[in-house]
Amino acid sequence: MTSVRWLVALVVLLVLPLLLPSFLVVVMTEIAIVALFATAFNLLMGFGGMVSFGHAAYFALGAYAAALLVKQAAWPMPLALAASPFVAAAGALFFGFFIVRLTHTYFAMLSLAFAQIVFTVVFKWKSLTGGDDGILNLWPPPALKSPLAYCYFTFAVAGLAMLALRAIVDSPFGYALRAIRENPRRARFIGVNVRRHQLFAFVLSGFFSGLAGGLFAFFNGSVFPDFAYLNKSFEPLVVVLLGGVQSFFGPLAGAVGFKVLETFIARQWPVYWPLFLGSAVVLVVVALPQGFVGLLQRRSWRIRTAR
Amino acid sequence: MRLRLRSTLAGFGVVALLGVLPGPDRAAAQPKPIKIGEINSYSGVATVYTFPYKEGLAMATKEINDAGGVLGRPLEFLHRDDKLKPDEAVKAARELTLQDKVDFLAGCISSSVGLALSAYAKDAKVLYFATHCQTSRLTWDDGHRYVAHTTNNVNQYVRVAAKKAATLPIKKWANISPDYEYGHNMWEEFSTYLKKLKPDVEFVQLNWPKLGETDHSSYITALLQSGAEGLFSSVWGAQSIAFVKQARPFGLFEKMRFVAPSVGNPDELDPLGKEAPVGAIATPFAWYDAGLHKRHPKLEAWTKKYTEWATAKGLKDPQPKLGASWGYASAYIIAEAIKRAKSTDTEKVIGVLSEGFEMDFPWGKVVMRGCDQQALPPQWLGVVKLDAQGKPFATDIEEVQGKEVARSCEEVKDLRAAAAAKQKK
Amino acid sequence: MLDAVTSLFPWITNGPLIVVQVMSGLSVAMFLFLVSVGMSLIFGVTRIVNLAHGSFYMVGAYLMVTLVETLPQHAAMFWVALLLAPLGVGLLGGIIEVTLLRRIYHREPLLQLILTFGLILVIGTLVLIVWGPDNKSVARPDALAGSVRIFGQPFPSYYLLVLGLAPVVAIALWIVFYRTRWGMLIRAATVDREMLGALGVDVATLYTQVFIFGSWLAGLGGALSAPTVAVALGMDGDVLTTAFVVVVIGGLGSFAGSFISALLVGELQSFGILVFPAVSIVLLFAIMAVVLIVRPWGLLGRPEE
Repeated sequence: MTSVRWLVALVVLLVLPLLLPSFLVVVMTEIAIVALFATAFNLLMGFGGMVSFGHAAYFALGAYAAALLVKQAAWPMPLALAASPFVAAAGALFFGFFIVRLTHTYFAMLSLAFAQIVFTVVFKWKSLTGGDDGILNLWPPPALKSPLAYCYFTFAVAGLAMLALRAIVDSPFGYALRAIRENPRRARFIGVNVRRHQLFAFVLSGFFSGLAGGLFAFFNGSVFPDFAYLNKSFEPLVVVLLGGVQSFFGPLAGAVGFKVLETFIARQWPVYWPLFLGSAVVLVVVALPQGFVGLLQRRSWRIRTAR
Repeated sequence: MRLRLRSTLAGFGVVALLGVLPGPDRAAAQPKPIKIGEINSYSGVATVYTFPYKEGLAMATKEINDAGGVLGRPLEFLHRDDKLKPDEAVKAARELTLQDKVDFLAGCISSSVGLALSAYAKDAKVLYFATHCQTSRLTWDDGHRYVAHTTNNVNQYVRVAAKKAATLPIKKWANISPDYEYGHNMWEEFSTYLKKLKPDVEFVQLNWPKLGETDHSSYITALLQSGAEGLFSSVWGAQSIAFVKQARPFGLFEKMRFVAPSVGNPDELDPLGKEAPVGAIATPFAWYDAGLHKRHPKLEAWTKKYTEWATAKGLKDPQPKLGASWGYASAYIIAEAIKRAKSTDTEKVIGVLSEGFEMDFPWGKVVMRGCDQQALPPQWLGVVKLDAQGKPFATDIEEVQGKEVARSCEEVKDLRAAAAAKQKK
Repeated sequence: MLDAVTSLFPWITNGPLIVVQVMSGLSVAMFLFLVSVGMSLIFGVTRIVNLAHGSFYMVGAYLMVTLVETLPQHAAMFWVALLLAPLGVGLLGGIIEVTLLRRIYHREPLLQLILTFGLILVIGTLVLIVWGPDNKSVARPDALAGSVRIFGQPFPSYYLLVLGLAPVVAIALWIVFYRTRWGMLIRAATVDREMLGALGVDVATLYTQVFIFGSWLAGLGGALSAPTVAVALGMDGDVLTTAFVVVVIGGLGSFAGSFISALLVGELQSFGILVFPAVSIVLLFAIMAVVLIVRPWGLLGRPEE
C-alpha cells in the first residue's frame, strides 16, 4: 500500500476520535482491542493454518496478569500492561508445546480443553483471582482515564502491535509459516522445522492476544473468569470469519463490522441477537467463503488464495 | 490491501455517521423524559426471571407516567442486555451515560454484574440502583454512596429461613449450594445466623456442586450418608428442579427437613408439579395466598392487574412472579427518590437516599434504609404443600419485616471497613 | 491408615450405598452414551464434529414436554411421546443436513465446526422463542415415579428403566452396525469414504441418513433424560461439553469407544465429586487433555492420516 494511503489512514485515525461523541470513541477503542485479538488469532489461523478454539485462555491470562500486577504487586499500569503479554506467552508456550503436536480437529479440541482448564482454575482459585467476583476497580491512571485518552493510548499500543504482527507475517518466518500451512511435509523436506515454527507462531499469537487482554482489562475496569470462557474464544473466530481469513487486515475489517452490528442490533433486539449472529455465521460459512469483505471484492469470481 | 483499508474506513464512517445523525425530533412542548439506563440479562437462561421483572417495571412506569410522571416529566427506562457478562454490562453502562445521557443507571440479575456496575458507578460518579441481583456485598462490604439497592439482599430472606430453622428440633445440618459467590454468600449468612440463634447446631456436611450441575446423584448419596437431619439448599432455578427431582426418589426429603429459599416460588414449583418437595420451608412470594391477601388488601387487585398486563404483553406465564414485584417496586422507589429530591441532580438524590424513606406497596411496607441505601421489604416464609389437584403451592405464610433481621448499620460499617482494609494490602 | 480413609470417605464402608452410587453413575452414563454415540457416529462418517448435538438433545427434551402436555392424559402416552420426540429431532437433523451441511462437506473441517457452532446460537434462540424462557419439566410416568429397594437403599425406579434400556439400545446398535448392510456401509465410510463412493454407493444419501440417525439418538437421549432434570435453556451447553469429552476419550468414530468412555466418564463424574470434590470440575477436561496429548484418537479411535 502506498505511503499516501498510510498517511491518510493515520490522519483519519488521529482525527476521528476528536470528532465523534464520547460513546463512539469508546466503541472505537473496543474495536481496536478486538481487532488486535483477532489479528493475533489470525496469525495462527489464516497464516499458520491452525485453528484454536481456546484462544480466550491467553487473552484472559494477559488480562489477569495485568490486573494482579496492579492490585497485588502495586505495579504502575503501563508496566503491568507491558508485562501481561509475556505471561500470556508463557502460557502459550506451555500449552502450545502439547497442542501443536496435533492437527486440525484434535488441535482445536486440545486448545479448547486447555482453555476450559484455565477458566476453571481462575474461577476456583478465589484467593488469588477473586473467583467469579472478579477483580474490580482497575482503572488506568488519571492521564489515560478519559475515553479519548484511552482511545489514543489503545490506538498507539494496538497500532504498534499490528505493525509488529505485520512485520512478522512479512518476514521469512511468516513465509515459512505459510509454506507449512500449504504443505507441511514439503516444508519439512526443504528443511523447515515445522514443530518449532508452529510453536513459535503459537507463542507469538498468545503474546499479542495477552496484550489485547491487558488493554481490555483497563478498558473495562475489571476482569472476570468468563474472559477465558468458550464464548470469548469464539469471538476472534467469528470476527475473522466475517472479515476474511485470507488477508492481514481482514480481522480488522471484521472487528469493525462485528462491533457495529453488535452495537446497533444487539441493543435493539437482545433476545434475537444470538439468532442473528448464529445465522450470520452460518450464512458466511455456506455462501461467502471470503467473509463479507469477499462480498465487496467480488469483481471476479476466481477463488483467490492468500497472499 | 487497498480494499481492506477502504472497508475499514467505510466501517468507521458508518459508525461516525450513525453517531452524529440527529435523533428523532421531539416536539418542543413535550417535557423531557427522565431517562434511566437499565442493564439486565434479556437473552438466554436468565430470561425466566428478567421477562416478568421487565413487565413489572413497565407496568409501574406506565402507572407513574399516567399519574403525571416524576416532577412533571415522564419516566423512561432504556433497556440493555448484559448477556450475563460483567464486561458487557460496563460497556452498556458507558454507552448509556455517554451516549444516551441517562440520569441514572439501574438493573442487574447476576451478582458479579451488579458489583461491576457498582464499581463503574462509583468511578463515574453516576447513581446506580441495583435491582434484581441479591448479593449483600453491593451495599455492605463494597457499598458506597453511588449505589442503592431497591430489593432485598440475600441476608434478609436467608436469615428469615434461619430463624425458622432455629425453631425446629434439628441439630445436624447439611448444605448443598452452588459453588460460586451467591451460593457461598447464602450458606455463610444462613449458618452464622442459625448458629447465633441456636448455638448447639452442628454442620455435618457441606456440598458445593458447580453452578448448573445436572446430575446430583453423588451429592445425594453423600447427603444420605451424612447423618444430617436438616438440609439447607441455595440451589436455584433449573438446577433446583433437577436436584429435587433426583433427590425425591432416594427418599432424601423423608430423611431430612428441606430448607430452600427459592423452591417455594412458582417458577420452580410449577414445573415440579406432583414431584414438588412437600414440607419444604421456603421464602416465596405467594401472591395467591388468602392469608396474605387479608393482610394486604391491595394485593389481589395488583396481581389481577399484573396478570392482565403480562398476558397482553404475550408472556407465556403471566402470573406475578417475585421478579415482577421487584421490577414494580424498583420503578417506584427510583421515582420516589427523585420526587423527594425535587431534582434529578445526582447529589441531591443521594442525599434523599442517605436519609432514607418508606413506601407502601400492595404487599407491604418497604423501608429504604439511609445508612446503606438498602431496601428492606417484607419477607415471607412458607411451607410447600400439594393441593387437591396435585398442584404444589406454598402455604402457612408467615411475614417478617426485613429490618428485623437485616444487619444493623453498625455491622455494615464494620463490614465496609474490613473490605477496605483487605483492598489496601 | 484405614481410619484416615474411612474418615475422608465415610461412604466407603457402606456397601449398599456404593452399589446404588455405581448404578446411578451407570444411568448417567447411559444418557451420555446416547448423545455421544450420535456425535461420534456423525464424525466417523462425515468428518463433521457436530457442535449442535447438545442442541438436538435439548430439542428432544422440549419436544417431550410438549408431547406429554398435548397428548391425552394416559399412562401409555408417555411412551408414545418418547417414541415421537426423537423422530422430531431426526427430522430437524435431516433438514439441517440437506440444506446446510451438504454444501460444505468439501470445505475445511474447521469451517464446518464453525457452522455447527452458529447453529447452536440459532437453535437456542428458536427454542426460547417457541417455548418461552420458563423452566419446564416432564413428570415420570406413575409406574416409575417411585423407588425400589436395593440392599435396603432406595433407588429411583426410573433409573432402572434407563439401565434396562441401555443394553437393549447397545445391542440394537450393535446389530445395526455389525449385522446389517447399512451398518456395514457406515463402518466402511468411517474407514474410507472415497473408496465407498468409488464402489458406487450413494455417499450423499448415506451422510444424510447417518446425520438423521445421530440426531435421532441425541433426541432420544434428551427425551429420556427429560424426567430426571429440568428442561430449560442452557441444557444444550451442559450436555455438549460432557459429550465432547466422552467422544474424545472414546475416540471419534468409534461406537465401542463411546460406550466404554461414557461408562468411564459417567462413573467418574458420579464418584469424582465424592473422592476429589475440589478438582472434580477440572478433572474431566484434564483427562481429555491427557488423552489428546498421549493418544489423540482416543481409546478405540482410528489414527488420522
